[in-house]
Amino acid sequence: AKMKKPDVKLVILGDMNVGKTSLLHRYIERKFKDTISTVGGAFFLKQWGPYNISIWDTAGREQFHGLGSMYCRGAAAVILTYDVTNWQSLVELEQRFLSLTDTANSDCIFAIVGNKADLTNLKAAAAETGEERESNGNLAGAQFPASPKMHKQVQPEDAVALYHRILRYKMLEEKCSPPAEAMCFETSAKTGYNVDLLFERVFDMVVPGILKKKTEAMSNTVDLEDCSDMQRTKLGCCG
Amino acid sequence: MSVKAFELVLAVERELLMGDKPRINIECIECCGKNIYIGTNDCFLHHFLLEEKSSSKGNPAFAAQKQLQRHLGLKKPVNELKAASALNRLIVLCDNTIMVVNMLNLEPVPSGAKIKGVVTFTVNENPVNGDPFCVEIGVISVKKRTIQIYMVYEDRVQIVKELSTPEQPSAIGLDGYFLCLALTTQYIILNYNTGASQDLFPYDSEERKPIVKRIGREEFLLAAPGGLGMFATAAGISQRAPVRWSENVIGAAVCFPYVVALDEGFITVHSMLDQQLKQTLSFRDGHILQDFEGKVVLTTTKAVYVLVPLPLERQIQDLLASHRVEEALVLAEGARRNIPKDKFQVMYRRILQQAGFIQFGRLQFSEAKEHFRKGHLDVRELISLYPLLLPTTSTFTRSHPPLHEFADLNHLTQGDQKKILKCKRFLISYLSEIRSTEVANGYRDDVDTALLKLYAEANHESLLDLLVSENACVLMDSVPWLEKHKKFFALGLLYHYNGQDDAAVQLWMQIVNGELHDDTRADLYEYIVDFLTFSSKQDLIWKYADWALQKNEKVGVQIFTKRPEDEEKKGKLNPDNVIKYLHKYSQAIILYLEHLVFEKNIQKEKFHSHLAALYLDRVLQLHSQSETPSEELSSSRTKLQNLLQKSNLYRVQLLLGKIKDTDLKFECAILYGKLEEYDKALHILVHQLKDFQAAERYCLWASEDKDPSYRQRLFHMLLALYMDPSISNDALVMAAVDLLNRHAEVFDAVRVLRLVPESWSVQLLCPFLSGAIRESMHSKRMSQVALGLARSENIIHKHEKMKSKGGPIFLSEKKGCQLCHNTFSEPEFVFHPSGIPIHTHCAAKRNRESPSRRQYPNVNNHT
Repeated sequence: AKMKKPDVKLVILGDMNVGKTSLLHRYIERKFKDTISTVGGAFFLKQWGPYNISIWDTAGREQFHGLGSMYCRGAAAVILTYDVTNWQSLVELEQRFLSLTDTANSDCIFAIVGNKADLTNLKAAAAETGEERESNGNLAGAQFPASPKMHKQVQPEDAVALYHRILRYKMLEEKCSPPAEAMCFETSAKTGYNVDLLFERVFDMVVPGILKKKTEAMSNTVDLEDCSDMQRTKLGCCG
Repeated sequence: MSVKAFELVLAVERELLMGDKPRINIECIECCGKNIYIGTNDCFLHHFLLEEKSSSKGNPAFAAQKQLQRHLGLKKPVNELKAASALNRLIVLCDNTIMVVNMLNLEPVPSGAKIKGVVTFTVNENPVNGDPFCVEIGVISVKKRTIQIYMVYEDRVQIVKELSTPEQPSAIGLDGYFLCLALTTQYIILNYNTGASQDLFPYDSEERKPIVKRIGREEFLLAAPGGLGMFATAAGISQRAPVRWSENVIGAAVCFPYVVALDEGFITVHSMLDQQLKQTLSFRDGHILQDFEGKVVLTTTKAVYVLVPLPLERQIQDLLASHRVEEALVLAEGARRNIPKDKFQVMYRRILQQAGFIQFGRLQFSEAKEHFRKGHLDVRELISLYPLLLPTTSTFTRSHPPLHEFADLNHLTQGDQKKILKCKRFLISYLSEIRSTEVANGYRDDVDTALLKLYAEANHESLLDLLVSENACVLMDSVPWLEKHKKFFALGLLYHYNGQDDAAVQLWMQIVNGELHDDTRADLYEYIVDFLTFSSKQDLIWKYADWALQKNEKVGVQIFTKRPEDEEKKGKLNPDNVIKYLHKYSQAIILYLEHLVFEKNIQKEKFHSHLAALYLDRVLQLHSQSETPSEELSSSRTKLQNLLQKSNLYRVQLLLGKIKDTDLKFECAILYGKLEEYDKALHILVHQLKDFQAAERYCLWASEDKDPSYRQRLFHMLLALYMDPSISNDALVMAAVDLLNRHAEVFDAVRVLRLVPESWSVQLLCPFLSGAIRESMHSKRMSQVALGLARSENIIHKHEKMKSKGGPIFLSEKKGCQLCHNTFSEPEFVFHPSGIPIHTHCAAKRNRESPSRRQYPNVNNHT
């Protein structure tokens, strides 16, 4: 019932508890708050320049897994999300979620995102502004860690390797796809680290697709002016 | 988080249907206009008319009137009912058979049209076939994995298509060519025209009853795993986020913007706009939930109820009343399509305004501002919350019904001063933002006056900016306010803006004089002077200039000296009047005359003489005061000397008369110089002042811009003074030598050498001599150069002349005249313009013969 029709669809996939909703919430609301497990799915409309981009936040729970391919149908971009402190969450992306993207557009763009980077990366933890730290203080301990709190289980190289396997799976040419370095991210929804970068890069990459779709729609329209011109030249030939 | 979106109203009570027979249950229901058809498990069809009426309290109520009931002749329950009102038929499913009955008498059609072997069916409400006299239905057949499409006509049915499905279907929806089916393990979309199928999502239909509910063009609502209500389009995508039901939903319907669902104990209402649960109504033994033409109808096994939606505006007002701004706005926004545009706009603006005030009450100012802006709030509504801000002349009254619940700011904040301050700061920023926009149109007076009051109260620096720029502050209302807050300077600005400059200056004067206290400007006195300087009102200037001058002549006189350049047009002050006026201010008058003479460059004897006389008086006065020369004295003298030297306009004799008997010798010398009485001047310098350098400088100054002989005369005069044999002393001799050596080029060397005594050594005059020789050599060579240049110029001119005359013409006996072809015997000839010589007589003859065609009008004689 939203007034604006989305021009393009973007879907966030990933195992439960990796922070899909938090990522989206951080980007849209510029805040980090405790979220409850997503039921079914939710979506947001984001105005990006002249375009409306719908972003679907899916439920990671097994129970709702069957809905995934419907959400992915016609998607122009899929953000596959894992938790950097949880190796299994990366494995699940390939085993469980990748096949859901079969219904996405053939030229769909993939981004691989390791969330919760603040737990293992001091830089990501420090991205938080003073004001936010104050307001989040009682949520998760006011002191940010002097040393990483948790063991990092997924290295960036693992994500890059997955990205290449995805391209092979989708039978996409490496040359024609965005490079892995541009599409693998480590983010922190809690501190906002890399979150804007992620979404904005993906948005920028789907815009050419929208334009292409629009020009295709335009070329299907019959131009009456052109037509009459053609007729006139024909008449000229015959006469 | 509840909204009252619907009210549950009993429509057909048990008594009317089955009385007290316990085993009879409602099986299915259909509504069509005011008609309600009910099928029961004892194979009866019931027909009621339902009248809507309001109870005494204004709550909705229904009165059902029994029309007819008919037994269908079987012992099976009536499973499903659909009305085809265009055909005047009811389509009835009973005992796996679809039969068609008349809507009015409930009799089966005479033709006995039937479809056998039907599990369940659905009507296509958006058929591709546009025939209004038939109804397209989709049927799940008792045959395994089979779907059939039929056309139902007034008295016949016709099969259109039969399709097989990969699994057994159990629920069906139909829109256009698209079938939405619940299969054993999943939902699919099946295009019965092309046969193309599209998987939607998995669902275990054996574990839980599937729901397929068409909710609009090519869109279905489906029961999904985990108790979700999922939306799916015919293209197989989801355009809305799912709603969360309980696990055991029996039926669902859409009544925009709500999704209503029924389970064993409750009716739940979710918004399609934000997917939130909005209302829950307890409903026991719920059996059917269906919507018919926007009306949501429910039944238990015994009675029928209608879920009556509350008017949207009332829902929104309820939400606003409980301060749920976001939800109210979403609901209003969602209703845009369902309400005529102009009506919507009025309603929506009001809601935005109300929302804004709620947020304002929570001190959420940026959100409030946004809503005020979008809602085109009459800004006076906001101003009127602040006591005393609106001017007394304002005609504003708050809108009715009120947009908010606040009496005023004190009520809103409960007297919390910090909050009041915050609110005031917000209003300042809001008003200053909108005052120059169209929002303020029509009541700029109110806005600007309110802003002025806020600024004054808050001691805000923008108060002055407001008053010096274009504004609409109401004078009558602002004066007491500014006085109260001791903003006297600002008040002056306000007076000025309103054309009351006299009042403004009067007020400012009082501040400077210490009668009023306002330290806005430390330099207020200078400000007033500046104000008068740029004022074009002469009476104002004359009125306050005295005060300004008495305070400080130097600054005060700027009123006259710094007047704007463009004043000429508006009639400027007459300098004579000013001088007369300034007479009593000794400093000011000098400054003013200096302004006229040096800056304005006015070439009038009167001013120059006056200034010179004043300078002189000043010098004399200072001179007489102290014996030792003070700095002031020397600077005054410099000024005087400067004027005397530079100006040629003052009356020399007059000044000379005053100066002669004083010991201002130098000045005296300058004056003699002006009279060209150089001997007297130099005499003073040499003999009285004994300042040889000054004498030298004097000669140079006096001969400035004159020809060299003038200068030479002066220098000789000076030299003669130095070498006057009657007064000979060493100092003068030395001065003479220095003079000669320094200015060798000026003197006539021959005359000098005659004057110089024999006793002087060549050594002594060496610089002079070499200078003089150098000078004479130089002038000789210069004249040689000039001579050379003149000669060459002469040659150039000659050359030019020759060129224009042409080359020589050779004449000999061998050459013939071109006219008579005889040779030349005499040296005389006529030069034909084409460059050939002819006989003089031939030329004359030719001219005589053809007087009309004179070919050689300019005949030159060459010899």
